[in-house]
Amino acid sequence: MNKTTIKIFLSFSFVSAIIATMLLVMNALGIGILITDTGIITPKHSPTSVLEDISLNLEKTDTGYTLANTNIPSEYWCILLNDDGNIVWSQNKPDDIPTHYSIRDIAKLTHWFLCDYPVFVRTENCGLLILGIPKNAVGKYELIYSMKWFDTLPERIVIILLINLVIALLLSLIFGRKLYGNLKTVTSAINDLRSEKTVNLPEKGIFRDVRRNINETSKSMLRKNAILSERDKARINWIAGISHDIRTPLAIIMGNAEELENSPELTENSRKKATAAKKQSIKIKKLIEDLNLISSLEYDMQPSKKHQISVCPLIREIVCDIYNNIGDKYSIDVELGAENAIVLGDENLLGRAFFNIINNSIVHNKDGCAISISEYVKDKNVFIEIKDDGSGFDNAVIQNSDEILHGQHGLGLSMTRKIVKAHGGTLKIQNNNGCVVTIKIPTE
Amino acid sequence: MKEILNKKILVVDDEPELLQMVQNALFDAGFWNVHTAATCAQAVSFAKSQPVALFLLDVNLPDGNGFMLYKTLRESSNAPVIFLTARGEADDKVRGFDLGADDYIVKPFLLSELILRVKALLRRTYTIVHKETGFYVDDKYIDFEKAAVIHNEKEIPLTPKEFIIIKKLWENKNKIVTNDALCLTAWGEDYYGHENTLMVHIRRLREKIEKSPSAPRHIVTVKGLGYKWVSENE
Repeated sequence: MNKTTIKIFLSFSFVSAIIATMLLVMNALGIGILITDTGIITPKHSPTSVLEDISLNLEKTDTGYTLANTNIPSEYWCILLNDDGNIVWSQNKPDDIPTHYSIRDIAKLTHWFLCDYPVFVRTENCGLLILGIPKNAVGKYELIYSMKWFDTLPERIVIILLINLVIALLLSLIFGRKLYGNLKTVTSAINDLRSEKTVNLPEKGIFRDVRRNINETSKSMLRKNAILSERDKARINWIAGISHDIRTPLAIIMGNAEELENSPELTENSRKKATAAKKQSIKIKKLIEDLNLISSLEYDMQPSKKHQISVCPLIREIVCDIYNNIGDKYSIDVELGAENAIVLGDENLLGRAFFNIINNSIVHNKDGCAISISEYVKDKNVFIEIKDDGSGFDNAVIQNSDEILHGQHGLGLSMTRKIVKAHGGTLKIQNNNGCVVTIKIPTE
Repeated sequence: MKEILNKKILVVDDEPELLQMVQNALFDAGFWNVHTAATCAQAVSFAKSQPVALFLLDVNLPDGNGFMLYKTLRESSNAPVIFLTARGEADDKVRGFDLGADDYIVKPFLLSELILRVKALLRRTYTIVHKETGFYVDDKYIDFEKAAVIHNEKEIPLTPKEFIIIKKLWENKNKIVTNDALCLTAWGEDYYGHENTLMVHIRRLREKIEKSPSAPRHIVTVKGLGYKWVSENE
């Protein structure tokens, strides 16, 4: 049960960690885009493109330099310095810009600012082109990275992602603990439902609806079980009542038939009819008794009185009872291997189960048969195998051996199955040159 | 035997036809002093007016049940009681016997069986039982009183265990008696593990009784189950 909960919880945490990491990557990209200044990268007015434009169109004339076919945007200014550091051409030049530059000035302005104007520099054959843009338009920062930094960048990204994943996982584990607790309650409640226990969860938390539904299900299950057991009880009582009510009238039928059977005034033929009526009444009596036993076994699977029963003496007793009442056509060979086998159960019921099987062989083989009974213990189970060399079971009996078997084999076999089942055992029915019935019951 | 037939029997049942049938059957069997009652009240007043030798009581009666009636009757009479009941449940049986009922018959029953039980109970209660004192087998006499085998006027004594075993076998003659039943009779509840001793006793019994102990004709072994006393003259 808890395994399932843990599995759900872990996969939930794992998924949330992955989502968190993906979000991180997407955010990193998004922030990258946001912080990149697209304002000065616009191709038309970017200082570098203006510089390039100027460099292409600046022509040398006899008097100096002229800019043909193009114009510098009005807020920009541009100067051309010769190798001596003097301005040889200029346009829109502000007044506060010096006319002569030393090497030191050049070094300074290429790196930083020229009189607070941000400047862009381009080297030409004829000198140095300097483009100035309005003061405070841009900031300049120096970024220097070692080559090692570039080399290890991929590794570091991977490590960062991994660390993120772990942190996200830990966080979701911590925050999911509550969810885990909820899940555990709910799954254990569902489990209880399955094993038909009563469930009543507090209806709160994120699973409130689920909890309510579980409670409702439990309640309706209780209701249905109560109805079912009520119905079973009613059925047992009904059968018991009917059989009770039949007994007295049947006693009168049986008694009168018996009286007629012995009546000297009747003809031989009439007396025979009375005998038939008596015999059939006795059959009905046995049916009533079996019916009661089966109905109580059907709905109340546990034998009410459980005792330690030695299997072997019980088998011997049953076999003797049968042996003492059958003719020489039948032989019963008894081979009891585990003399000490003890099972927990109802002696009368178990005896009845053994009797039914052996009696089946006798009733269904009118011309006689050899019955052999063997008993042994294996893996904490006692096995009782009852074989005969008679006509065997009908195929229908073997195929439907789990069903209640009426008709040819009467109530006997199904009663035996129920008794064995009530003792936690199983009954196996086979044909192998006759019937083979194996009863398996756990030992004490 | 005559004495028994003179005994007064009271049958109590609320079903008139059953009452009539049982009464007729008892008359047919030779009883003549048979009375009936349909309710507890009738039964009690009858029992108070005259002594009754045996009661046949239905468990379900219109004004109470047989168990209650039994208690009331016991206050004035010690006569044996047989319950007739339409309830098949084992619990009723236990309850009937706990109260001290002498016998118990579940409906429907055979009248012949009922008569047998009535006679047996009356005989048990009112006559001195004629006990078997022994039996003949071939030319030997097994004497129960002396616990010995008598052959040619010589007494071969039987040990107590041998005596118990031979008696048990003879009481169930021509029927198999399981090892368990024999051991239980000879050694009581704690009989377990006496099977081998039982075999020894059986061998000695054969030596004392059988003509040829190695090929026994009377004390027959039934393999895996037990022993059987086979009497040939029956």
